[in-house]
Amino acid sequence: MTRTPDDLDMLEDVFAAARRAPPEPGADLLARIEADALWLQAGAARPSPRLLPAIAGWRAALAEAVGGWPALTGLAAAALAGVWIGISAPAGLAGLAQAMLGTPDAVYLVDLDPAVTFEIAEGGG
Amino acid sequence: MRGGAPLLSRHAPATLWGLGAAARVFRKERVRPLTMVMAFDDPTDMPDEALLVLYANGDAGAARALTARLAPRVMAHAGRLLGSRAEAEEVTQEAMLRLWRIAPRWRPGEAKLSTWLYRVTANLCTDRLRRARGVALEALPEPADGAAGPAAGLQDKARAGALHAALARLSARQRQAVVLRHLDELANPEIAAIMEISVEAVESLIARGKRALAADLSARRMELGYTDDTDT
Repeated sequence: MTRTPDDLDMLEDVFAAARRAPPEPGADLLARIEADALWLQAGAARPSPRLLPAIAGWRAALAEAVGGWPALTGLAAAALAGVWIGISAPAGLAGLAQAMLGTPDAVYLVDLDPAVTFEIAEGGG
Repeated sequence: MRGGAPLLSRHAPATLWGLGAAARVFRKERVRPLTMVMAFDDPTDMPDEALLVLYANGDAGAARALTARLAPRVMAHAGRLLGSRAEAEEVTQEAMLRLWRIAPRWRPGEAKLSTWLYRVTANLCTDRLRRARGVALEALPEPADGAAGPAAGLQDKARAGALHAALARLSARQRQAVVLRHLDELANPEIAAIMEISVEAVESLIARGKRALAADLSARRMELGYTDDTDT
């Protein structure tokens, strides 16, 4: 079947008509697409899911706030170290504790010459 | 901008440009002139790729602008490849979903966003056609919510419907090439990039496709309002 110039001219005209009447998305489709975009955008801001199963309750929330179970382990270690230092204190620390907290007539450090605080810490009078 | 914040100081665009420029220099990209920053106030002037970067950085307005700009083009393309409005809507939503997902990884300057989107759309349509094993032969039905453009008269719609029916009888590759060229109005090099073939192959597909369409439609020329005088 040979094509004629008339047929191709008509085809060009039909193309033009089809360009003026494209299939268009309805408002509900546009809303769904936008909802997908915003949902994924919010998802990117959420923390990524953990490999361990979530434990419901305040303990899990506390653990997550601190930064996870490994961080809690570190916190526990630091707490234990603090208790150990308090129980079996190194020598200098006893004097500092005495000076800061033990004396009945407490000296308000803020009223003194700034240099005095260093002398108290060193164990001097 | 984020949340429609009205209280940006007038120094904010310059600061943002400075930070952006520093980031681009660090990534060894071309630093854009300050005039590009003024487009922050009018997202309609920004290129698609820039809007996508904004979207990936959390800008909700960019999501709206991209949807308004790109969804109609995807819908039109999918509708013409599939011949079914319902299928085209599903493909459109899926193609845009893939765009949202790839946004954080999009590297400006590597590929044109529209090229990528046309390719994704066509692949999704091909998958659907393979599963359905054929294209619906009836013309694309009228949009339910009257979404046709104001310039589309009744005769335009009838002619578009006839064209869709004729397109359905082409091979998938001829149909894609003809639609990209004469309905999406892309240049042959971009069509070649989308279809991942040579420009010569594109021209051949288009020529063969148009011959088949012209022959198909000539049988309906009276019905479509064309006389033998070609006075239209």
